[in-house]
Amino acid sequence: MLVCVLTGCGRFRGGQAETPGPQRIVCIGEAYNEIIYALGAQADLVGVDYSSTYPPQIKHLPTVGYHRALSAEGILSLHPTLIIDDDSIGPDNVVRQLQALEVPMRTFHAKNDSIDGTKALLLEMGAFFHKEQRAQELCAQIDREMAEAADRLKQYKTRPRVAVIHFGRASNVYMLVGNGGGGDASTAGKMVELAGGQMAIEQRGMQRMASPEIIAKSNPQVILMTEYGYDQLGSIEAAKKLPGVAETDAAKKNRIYRIPEHQLMYFGPDTGENLIALMKLIHQ
Amino acid sequence: MNTRRTDVWWLAVLVLLMVVSTVVSIRFGAMDFSGHEIASAVWGKLTGRTDLSLNERIFIELRVPRAILCLLVGACLGVGGTLMQALFRNPIVEPGLVGTSSGAAFGAALFYVFGALLKVSLGGWSLPLAACAGGVLSTYLVFALANTKQEGRSSILRLLLTGLAINALFMSGIGFLSYVARDPAARSIIYWNLGTLSGADWNSVMVVGVATIGGLVPAIAFAKPLNALMIGEQEAEALGVNVGRLKWMVLTINVLMVAVATAFTGVISFVGLVVPHILRMLRGPDNRFLILGSALLGGTLLSLADLVARVSLRPAELPIGIVTAVVGVPVFLSLLRSREYLS
Repeated sequence: MLVCVLTGCGRFRGGQAETPGPQRIVCIGEAYNEIIYALGAQADLVGVDYSSTYPPQIKHLPTVGYHRALSAEGILSLHPTLIIDDDSIGPDNVVRQLQALEVPMRTFHAKNDSIDGTKALLLEMGAFFHKEQRAQELCAQIDREMAEAADRLKQYKTRPRVAVIHFGRASNVYMLVGNGGGGDASTAGKMVELAGGQMAIEQRGMQRMASPEIIAKSNPQVILMTEYGYDQLGSIEAAKKLPGVAETDAAKKNRIYRIPEHQLMYFGPDTGENLIALMKLIHQ
Repeated sequence: MNTRRTDVWWLAVLVLLMVVSTVVSIRFGAMDFSGHEIASAVWGKLTGRTDLSLNERIFIELRVPRAILCLLVGACLGVGGTLMQALFRNPIVEPGLVGTSSGAAFGAALFYVFGALLKVSLGGWSLPLAACAGGVLSTYLVFALANTKQEGRSSILRLLLTGLAINALFMSGIGFLSYVARDPAARSIIYWNLGTLSGADWNSVMVVGVATIGGLVPAIAFAKPLNALMIGEQEAEALGVNVGRLKWMVLTINVLMVAVATAFTGVISFVGLVVPHILRMLRGPDNRFLILGSALLGGTLLSLADLVARVSLRPAELPIGIVTAVVGVPVFLSLLRSREYLS
């Protein structure tokens, strides 16, 4: 009984010595996985989560399912020596099962919730995967592109009102992204601000597109739709049929754009480049 | 006497089926275990060894409790369905249709969203208790509002429609909770509503086990009075059955079993409908056979459904509620089409 309690409490979140040599890593978290590929450390990856779809070659890896509906045995069937997760995995009892089995698990300390945080995460992950030099290069690249973006920004006199529509794959509904709030939503808002736009929806966080009034009233000049949701509709004409969209200036001027999720919804190694592209897109 | 003996034979067959499906569900899954690992893991658990290998511990801490939880939850849902059908004298009634499951899911969702605010923690029992409270509330609401005193066709229709309304109410309550919840909690609720046994551990086996035995034993004791009730309420009273008390007791047993099972696995629909239906086709409406049989067959079918859920997408998993719905909906529709069940 005592032994059970002790092993149950033995949390293996970071800090412990990793075994040397090749690892078998299951990595759950889209930003982490994008960084692993950018660092060139993907050789040790044996499994990823359902949301990790960038870069495209990641799709060859087995997926352990949606990051909030994991199965311990499914993950363990890939024989991981390490599970990396961004601290948003579930259900809780599956996380407890993994902890009780003392499978090494790691969450990085730095959070990619800002440009500085993203660089810190790149350096931390670079150190972890022994790709320090590549991490430095990526940080320098971000700095360079951010400077270029800041420079470009001066030429734009207007601040277009931008609405972001994201397809929530957990609930299969279109979500309107507001300004601020936590996680994905806040990143999209920051990207739009950095690109010289302003978020048309003031309410914090994401909300369902339940009422046509919400988007019609905010009347964005530009609508960005993340790719999964856009592709489900298939065309700009179909996108205009979403509730309230047709009434917006963006729809009248055909300024509804498809944008890959990884370019907008979280900060990553390509954020500088993505920002410049976003800037051009919304100021067209 | 002769039919009783045939019943015993059938029960033996059902036990055999359950054992086979359990062996299959323990043997196969995302991981492959060698026979040696299995033997060593079982022996290690029994002798309290603490130096089990990772594979051995995966087997004994994940695979085995999950297989047992399947049997227990399947038994709870199957018996719950049989009891409700006996009580309402209609084979189309199912815990999911009279609000028990959605109420339990609502209770669990409340716990997911606001549980952290509670001052008192009851450990592993908090979630099942919250689910039970929700299940009790919704079932009694349906019961009270449907006013089932009237006999016949209109009464069962009213019950189903009231169940529909209360289900909608509680599902929208769950929707509201996932709407106001912090994002991660909300996503947990969505997946929980599709049902999964992935969280099975020895603690959940123990809690659901207590509910299963605590419900099954009195349910078997009520089999005879329920048989009498099937003839009609007045006839049952004439045979010495306290109908009011019987209804209340049976409903309570049903809520206990279904809500506790739902609390650990999420909403798994249609098991309570399909299992008694199959048994009734085999052996007719005798509740003495149906109650025990639905415990056995419920466990068997849920084990097989979970096997499908575990291996079809591996290393990911399918929510089990989807598997049971694919099997259950056609049965439900075919029941609806055969007129006699609505009269």
